[in-house]
Formats: sequence, C-alpha cells, structure tokens
Amino acid sequence: MSQETTHAHHEHPDVVGSRNRLGVILIIVADVAMALSILFVYFYLKGQNVNNMWLPAATEEVPATVPVSSMGALYIAIISGFGMLLNRYALQGAKAKNQAQLTLGAMIAFAMSVIGLVYQIQQMNSAPFTMRMGAYASCYYLIAGLNALHLALTAFISLGNWNRARLGLYKTDHWHVEIIQVWWIWMTVSAALGAFALSFT
Amino acid sequence: MTTTMGRTASAGHSAKSPLIEKLNVFTAFGLGIILAVVFYVLAAKLIPEDTDAMLIHTKHDQIILLAMIGWFIGFMVGIGALIGPFRWLLGKDLSHDENMFYAGKDLGTKRYFRYTTDHKVVGIQYLVTTMIIFGVGGILAMLIRTNLGNPEGGWIHPQAYNAIVGIHGIIMIVGTIIMITGPFGNFVMPIMIGARDMAFPRLNALSFWLIVAAIPPILSSFFLGGIMTGWTAYEPLASESPAGMDGYIMFICIFAISTMVAGANITATVVRMRARGMTWNRTPIFIYGVVASVALALPAFPVFFLSQIMSAFDRAMGTTFYNPAGGGSGWLYENLFWLMGHPEVYVILLPAIGALMEMAPVFTRRPLFSFNVAVMGIAGICGLSALVWAHHMYMSGWAPLLNGPFMLTTELISIPTGMLFLVLVGTLWRGRLWLTVPMASIYALLWNFMVGGITGIYLSDVPADGALHGTMFVTAHFHYTLMGAGLTGAIASLSYWFPKMTGRMLDRRLSWVSFWMVQIGFNVAFMGMFLVGLAGQPRRVEAYNAMFNRGNMVTTAGAYVIMTGMLILLFAVVDSWRNGIKASDNPWFAKTLEWSVPTPVPLENFATLPVVTTDAYGYGKAKS
Repeated sequence: MSQETTHAHHEHPDVVGSRNRLGVILIIVADVAMALSILFVYFYLKGQNVNNMWLPAATEEVPATVPVSSMGALYIAIISGFGMLLNRYALQGAKAKNQAQLTLGAMIAFAMSVIGLVYQIQQMNSAPFTMRMGAYASCYYLIAGLNALHLALTAFISLGNWNRARLGLYKTDHWHVEIIQVWWIWMTVSAALGAFALSFT
Repeated sequence: MTTTMGRTASAGHSAKSPLIEKLNVFTAFGLGIILAVVFYVLAAKLIPEDTDAMLIHTKHDQIILLAMIGWFIGFMVGIGALIGPFRWLLGKDLSHDENMFYAGKDLGTKRYFRYTTDHKVVGIQYLVTTMIIFGVGGILAMLIRTNLGNPEGGWIHPQAYNAIVGIHGIIMIVGTIIMITGPFGNFVMPIMIGARDMAFPRLNALSFWLIVAAIPPILSSFFLGGIMTGWTAYEPLASESPAGMDGYIMFICIFAISTMVAGANITATVVRMRARGMTWNRTPIFIYGVVASVALALPAFPVFFLSQIMSAFDRAMGTTFYNPAGGGSGWLYENLFWLMGHPEVYVILLPAIGALMEMAPVFTRRPLFSFNVAVMGIAGICGLSALVWAHHMYMSGWAPLLNGPFMLTTELISIPTGMLFLVLVGTLWRGRLWLTVPMASIYALLWNFMVGGITGIYLSDVPADGALHGTMFVTAHFHYTLMGAGLTGAIASLSYWFPKMTGRMLDRRLSWVSFWMVQIGFNVAFMGMFLVGLAGQPRRVEAYNAMFNRGNMVTTAGAYVIMTGMLILLFAVVDSWRNGIKASDNPWFAKTLEWSVPTPVPLENFATLPVVTTDAYGYGKAKS
C-alpha cells in the first residue's frame, strides 16, 4: 500500500448524504429483522394454538377473546402511507428549492404521524380484551406496540424535519428529507405487515 | 488556562459553559441513579397491589423494570447521548468547535470519561471495559471452579451457585462479542481502511456508552435473586425466576441496541469510507472478519431483543408468549434465542480469525495464502450460520423431522471453517517465521479451534448429541471455540496492536509467560472437562458424583493456572502502558495503513488521505 496526495478534509454533501442514507437503511435492516420476528411469533403461536388458548373460549370469570378487526391496523398503514406521500411531496419541494412546498409537506407529514400515533393508542385502549387474555391478545398488543413505537419515532423525526424545513436549513441540501423518506417507507411497510398478520385470526 | 470549544476561558472568566462541557460519566451515573430511585418510588406508590385473585403477580417486576428503565434514561441523558438528536430537532446543528469538543480535542484523559466521538478514544474505552467485564466474569468462573473442587460442592449455596453460573455465562458471552470488534474494530479499523473516523462518530460513542449503561442492571441481578436459568434464560423457567431475571432482560435489551448501532456504523464505514484505490481485493482480511461479524449481528440481535421484550412482558404485564397455560410456548423462546445464539458464535469467532489471518503474513513475511478462499470461507460461514440454530434443540422435542436437515447444515459449516484453517496453515507453510506472541497465537488457535470444531461435529450429530447433550462435554466444547479460539485471537490482537494504541510495546517476557500459562492451563482445564462430560457429568450442577472428582480437580487446577496467566497479562498491560518500551510507528514492519500513521495517532488520523495501489500483503514469496 502507498500513501499519496489527496483532497481536503471537507466532504461533498452528496458523499455524506449517501453514507447517512446507508446507515439508516442498515438500522432499518435491524428493525426489519425484529418486525419479521414478530410475524414469526404471531404465526407460530397461532399455528400451535397451545391448549386452545390462541383465542380462549369464555369461562365463568372471563369472557371469550374476540379478535379485533384488522381494519384498524390497515388504517394505520394507510395513514402512514399518506405521511410517506406527503414527505415525498416535501422532498420534491426540497429538490425544486420550493420552500413553501417543502414546509407544507413536512408539516402535514408530521401531523399524519401524530394522527397515526393517537389513533394507534386509541385502538390499544379500546381493544375488547387485555393483553393477558391468551396468545392472540398478547400478539395483538405486540404488533400494536411496535406500530406505536414506530409512529412515536416517526413523529419525532417528522417534527424535526418540519422545523428544519421551516428554518430554511434544507436550502442547499435535501439529504435529510430523502433519508426521512426511507424511514417513512419502512414505517408504512411495517404497518402494512402488521395489518396483514392481524387479518389472520 | 483551558481552551473550551473555540473560546478561551481563563481564571476568573465567568463565561457560562455549554451543557455538553458539563456532562461526563459522573453526571451519567448520578442522573441514572436519581431517575432509578424516582421511578422505583413512583412505581411502588402508583402501581396497584397484586391481588390474590390474580394468577400472575407482576407488581414487583413492574417496579424493578421501571427502575431500570429510569436508570437507563438517566444515564443516557447524563452522558449527553441525547444532545445530538435534540439539537437536530431544534435545527441547531453542532458547530465545528462543538464537534471537535465531542471528538475530545485538547481534553487529555478527560475525554475517556465523556461521550467522546473519536474512534480511537472509543476503542480504548472498549478495551478497558472489556478487560473489566472479563475480570468480573473471570472471578465468577473461579468461584464456580473452586466450588466444583470437591464433589459435595457446598461452600456456595446452590441458588447462589446458579446465579453465579448464569451471570458468568452471559457476561462472558457479551465480553467475547465485543472483545475484538469493540477495541480493535474501533481503534484500528478506520485507520486500516484509510478513513479519518467512523461514518457516524456519535453513534460510535452511543454504542459504547450503551454497554456501560447495560452493566449495572446485570450486576444488580445478584441482589435481586440472581439468574437461575443459565445464560440462555429459557422460558418458561425464566418467567418463574426471581427478579434477577429483570436485570438480565434489561442488560440484553440495551446490549442488543448497542450491537445494532455498532453494526450499522461499522458496515457503513467500511462500505463507504475506504481509501481511494482500496478495492475489495485490497481490503485487509481483518476488515472482512469485522464486517462479517457485525453483518451477522445486525439482523440476529433484534431477534434476541424481541425475545427479551416478550419475556419482560410475560413477567411484568402478564402476557402469555411463553406461558403454555395462556397459549404460549417455550419452544418459541428457544427458536428466537438460537436464531440469534448460533450466528452469535460466529459473531465472536470471525473477527478473531480475521485478526489472526491479518497477523499471519506479518509474522511469516509472506502473502496471505489464497485471500479469495479466506473471503469465501467467511462468506460461507455467514450464510450457513443462519441455518443451523435448531441443532441446539435436538433434545427439546421440537420438530424431530427437522433434526436431519439441521444436522446436515451444521456439518456443512465445517467446510468454510476448514477453508479458514487452510488459509492459516497455507500462510504458515514455508514462511519465514518471526516467533512472537501473535504468531504463537495462530498455532494455539489452530489447535484449540480444531478440538472445538471436531467436538462440535459430534454435538451436531443427533445420536451422539442424545448422549452428550446437557453434559460438561458441551461446556468444554464451547469454551474451546469461544475462549480457545476467540479469546486467543483477542489476546493476540492486544499484543499486536498494543504499540499503536498505547505507544508502548507490551512486555515481551511477561506476555510470553502469560501466553503459555493461559494456553497450558486452558487445555488442562477443558480436556478434564471433556473427560467428565464424556463420562456423563451434567453441566450446571453444584455437586456431582464422586466418580467425576478427578476430572474436576484437573479442571479446577487448570482454571487456576489460567487465572494466574491472566493476572500476569493484566499486570503486563498496565505496567507496559505506563512504563513500557516506547514503540516505533511500525514495530512489526507491517504493510497495512494503521502502521503508516504516527504514534500517537493524530486526531483525524491522516494529514492527507492515502491512496491505495496494492494489497496489504506484499511481503515477497515463501522460502522455496
């Protein structure tokens, strides 16, 4: 190996941006592994139905566990999908140097993440069972919990994105919005996977 | 007069210092303890009492887990881990001066106690932490072996013995996971690829401080009833164990996050920040070992994380993931655990073997034998290691029809492993040997890993496993792989890179004495363990039949020799670090880039970034 002359310390924003995007994708890979594991847990316990306790029948003390409609989970995926599209709208604004479009898209995307989070929490609170009532109930709360965690994280990221857009920090560099778009895509896919699983009761 | 973040503060100058200057390990521990206490008190007051009608009592676990979460949040806030994200949120990105402060510029030894982002500081932090972890795990190992010195056991209470075995196991597993990727992956790897730092320096610091945050929960389990399940924490036994399991759960969850963060960081660094001209064929083999390790860990540890989250929910919230009475399954836990657990063996081994393959050309003064075979071997192990997990479950009764396929995949993995042996032996063959501790460690690895590997083939074989499962034979087998191969690689790495990391040579005489004591003691100890295992002594017992006494005495005697060797190594490290012979920039005359920079290595490693024109193994040909 040999050492020769080279360039200055500062890197081009595209180099930094694409590196950051790879980092986020790799962290998402870890999250994908966890999400797939949750699906494995769901289908494994459903398939095993140990002691017929996937959906326990009613007893004298406890009512039967009635599965919730997967439409609620689907709505979360749809809300996330809207958020993703709005962030994409913001990204297009950033690329086109359209500050108003960027700020508007980022703001509504943030609002979607909050709406999704509130709706997810409301769903968990209104489920007709507690997490102690059999394997299905436990799995339902696991999937809903993952959605809520993802949405909380998305809300944090989206708030920062909107604030930075509002402050004009993306005038020369759209990479942050683009990387957040990668997260939004995964948010939507993971919510859709959860809805898919819950459609099998 | 001290320089702080681009402005000068002199005595009497009352400029208010920014928050990031105030935070360090002491504020982290302080805030962590305060929040743990606050969470504990609030949870104890606010959570309703368990009633007799409840089938599962959960309040105690809820309180303990919340206190640990409080500790975790407090620690991370106190060390300054959240400053970056919230500054990003507020649109107040860190300035150049602040980034330099984070990197530890002009902070002297204080930088080792802060959220410092310089990869070299993080590497040293990892090194010291790993040594502490091994110290704790080693003390526990000696307690185990001393208790097994006579058949009746006796001087340690059986429950305390179980707790010691469990904590020893998991602490040592974590120690071996980080022992190379942490210290050397961080300190050496960026320089070796010609980069100025890691891709994400703040994530780098985060990955380290997460490990520090994880240690108190696992140590607290000593005082909460211990870990009664062994390091695997099988369910539903774990759910029925004392609150010490909560410490285990918290420890694993935090450690898994650290591993994920480190995995993404290291991979992105290697993929995107290699020097110009450093094609994949010119990338040093150590880098392949490290990247393969973290690439395996990246998808594996989230599975482990999830398994522990579900354990926590079962204990604290009454869910029934693992409780058959509520539709759960212990086999589910075993699957999730070993989906992580077997790749984790290679997470430990690949960096060790990669490091020794890196050293082999240096100390034989000839090129690495068949670089491509080495890469294929590493890739083959990565691919197959995800397909072998159920060989740990042959005797559990889960899916007997799959025993055959899993036996096949497990035995297939010996092929890429054999390729790595071939590369090492081929490099040694007719080399001009320079007999140093790293060089001798290659021979030690070949022997130890051969024993560990061959005994592994027996255990992968269903009929043989029927007899050997759950015996000391298994314990000896995995110690031969993780300690005999992995730890040997780590000690060799310490000896090899010590001059670059500290500017001093590791004491030659003491390191040789340590090497021989550890290797002889190790082989005595674990050969004895193989013998009692073959004779049928079960593992994880604190008393045993008198017929196993002789083998256990041999093992205990060997363990004491290992301990003495390790203490000598510790003394050599401390003494050499303080008073050792000053090292030249390249004492081994090696050709990888880390030896081309001055010692001590400057803050940004390279004044000018290197351009690579050849591979790192141009040492000429072997003797004919």
